[in-house]
Amino acid sequence: MIFNSTTFLVFFAIVYVLYWLANKHLKLQNGLLFLASYVFYGWWDWRFLSLIFISSLIDYYAALKMEQKPEQSKRWLMVSLVYNLGMLSIFKYYNFFASSFSDMTRMFGWEPNDLTLNIILPVGISFYTFQTLSYTIDVYRKNLKPTTDLLSFLTYIAFFPQLVAGPIERASSLLIQVEQRRVFRKDWFNEGIIQIFVGLFRKVVIADTLGIYVDAVYGDIGINNSASILLATVLYAFQIYYDFAGYSDIAIGTAKMMGFRFCQNFNLPYFSKSLTEFWRKWHMSLSYWLRDYLYISLGGNRKGIKITYRNLMLTMLLGGLWHGSSWNFIIWGGIHGLFLSIEKYTIDKTWFSGFRKWSVPAYVYTFGVVVFSWIFFRAQSLDMAFLAISKIVHFEWVMPYFEDINIMVNTFTVLGLGLLIDFYLFKKNLPLETLGAGYSPLKISIIISLLLVLISLFYSTSNNFIYFQF
Amino acid sequence: MGRDNLLYLLKVLGLVLVMSYVVDKIIFFAFNQISDKVYTGQSIGKLNQFLELKDSLDWIVLGSSRANHTIDPSQLTPRSYNMGLDGRQIAYSAALVKLLPSHKDQTILLQVDPLSAVSPAYDGSDLKALNTKYNRNEAIRAELNSMGQDNRFQHFFWSLSYNGMVMGILKNYLRPGYDHHTYLGYDPIYPTDQQQKIFQTILDRKKEVHCGSPSINPIYQKKLEELATYCKNHHKKLIVFSSPEYADRCKEDDVLLSDLMQALGIKYYNMTDFFKGNNDLKNWKDETHLSHKGASQFTAAMRKKLGLQ
Repeated sequence: MIFNSTTFLVFFAIVYVLYWLANKHLKLQNGLLFLASYVFYGWWDWRFLSLIFISSLIDYYAALKMEQKPEQSKRWLMVSLVYNLGMLSIFKYYNFFASSFSDMTRMFGWEPNDLTLNIILPVGISFYTFQTLSYTIDVYRKNLKPTTDLLSFLTYIAFFPQLVAGPIERASSLLIQVEQRRVFRKDWFNEGIIQIFVGLFRKVVIADTLGIYVDAVYGDIGINNSASILLATVLYAFQIYYDFAGYSDIAIGTAKMMGFRFCQNFNLPYFSKSLTEFWRKWHMSLSYWLRDYLYISLGGNRKGIKITYRNLMLTMLLGGLWHGSSWNFIIWGGIHGLFLSIEKYTIDKTWFSGFRKWSVPAYVYTFGVVVFSWIFFRAQSLDMAFLAISKIVHFEWVMPYFEDINIMVNTFTVLGLGLLIDFYLFKKNLPLETLGAGYSPLKISIIISLLLVLISLFYSTSNNFIYFQF
Repeated sequence: MGRDNLLYLLKVLGLVLVMSYVVDKIIFFAFNQISDKVYTGQSIGKLNQFLELKDSLDWIVLGSSRANHTIDPSQLTPRSYNMGLDGRQIAYSAALVKLLPSHKDQTILLQVDPLSAVSPAYDGSDLKALNTKYNRNEAIRAELNSMGQDNRFQHFFWSLSYNGMVMGILKNYLRPGYDHHTYLGYDPIYPTDQQQKIFQTILDRKKEVHCGSPSINPIYQKKLEELATYCKNHHKKLIVFSSPEYADRCKEDDVLLSDLMQALGIKYYNMTDFFKGNNDLKNWKDETHLSHKGASQFTAAMRKKLGLQ
């Protein structure tokens, strides 16, 4: 079930009414949320519900055992890590490692049998695996008391607004909210409903419209000229941002209308003066997860400068691999790791701090690096990514090729509208999550009506959310 | 949730419904005013022009962009119009035919694509392009409803009629791209160097073709049957042709379509291989679209076939 579908609209309307009707009975309300979340996920493929269920059970019991027998806590953490990462490896990475192994052995003249398997990637496996892992690691680190309420835990892992594409909510934030009675708050309802419609606008109007040109160019890089590829790459930077930020907005808004506060996931990331700042604003729930559970676990910056750079690179390379099982994502992570390291190296240098004071070059630098790295993210293979780069490098001063000028006019119009909203939020220093709290019902209805009309006039073909594939 | 909160929730939702209904209608009627004055452009201008001219036409060319760029109606008769549009297929064309005056003798020259006729994916969704008139034309609404191609939200949000067309309508309203009084619906293509380069690159690639064992799409067949019957009963002469392809390597679809046309008693010209002996690249923009040079040759040949010399 996807957010921008009529099915979800009906589903959410039913769940929402039942949810608040059951408000006086926490167990009943959580039971309803659990059931609704499993229906939401099972709508895609019910067979994979067993993966979430088993993962949840293992982590629930592992955390309890850690507290009951502290001397065995390392063993129980290993159980959790092996199961969760094992499942992730099998479903997401097995074919990648098998084909990479075959490629490597071929270099030595050995022709192995085809080791790859026909495996379906369960939607959202990367997200809920990280979410559930954060729980056992937090309990192991004694940052969190394990819950004794299985239903709450199952609901926390499967909670439908964030199940398939985040934000990756930690138990220290979301599980506690699941365990407590929620209350209907008008300000949260206002914020939630506005964020849902802004998210919908970002997804079905901006991201999907931009995707038409991007898909056309990246579908066949060989026939497109350098200007077209460059334009498509820049547009992709906005497509993926509005797609994923739009999804997060709907998730955060939906949860807020039900009385849950999620962490912020995007905070106008292209208004960043450095890659370091970019990663504090882009997919924040993942970047902070990687920082807290990977970078710091590796030693962070506490073990000397060389180890710090190693940790930074490893974190970003694994962060890249988290997105997908291909060398493209690893290189994408590597580019970010490299530039984050360079920034770390230059941060104390006086000549560099001078550069950082100039806003425009700093914004351009950050955007340039991010756009460059998106080539690897979007291209269908490593060969295609290098072909795109080689074409861009040998730049020809020709116009980008537009098959349909109307589509391009729409593309730039909706992108302009999206940037206008972002620029307003940036100038006002206003997180979207807090927009609408004190608005009157009339003002709320006017804003939503205008967004609905814009959606009616400009929505594009309904593509799946890009981050579903991760 | 207390009574106070419930009332608040209902108030917001109620206001959203009322306000969005009002705003939507304001936008819809404003765009009606503007779009009714637009007679240029593919978004809505061409359809408006067709609806205005349809009663006076003798020959009407229908089909996709391949019809649009292939037949020059000025070469047929003085009162001809090419209503070919990008992405339109049999369902859209059949709906337009039903809008023609029932008692006037008219000839329909319909371009079809054999590949679409055997495509299992064809669902008649090309008809959706007529959604612009859904809330304003009974016949079109009935056609869209009968094919299940209506947008259920359009019953409430009328501005959905103008989805994806706003900029095109505004552009053509403020600055028409051509004089529609002299426009007959034919859009000649003069390929740019870049387009020719792209075409050459595509041709240079070796393409594997899997023809499979196709069968006629049931929706396609139903629409064709419907169209044939309608034309027979409403003073319309239906002539169908397939437009040329640069290199059509699968012939099964052509045979199936020819057989179907014969069974339905429709006059059909399979012109897919028209340029087979003379595949000069200058005749083409890409594998399925002719340049103006190619289109001129093709129209001349069609004139001959149709006995219009």
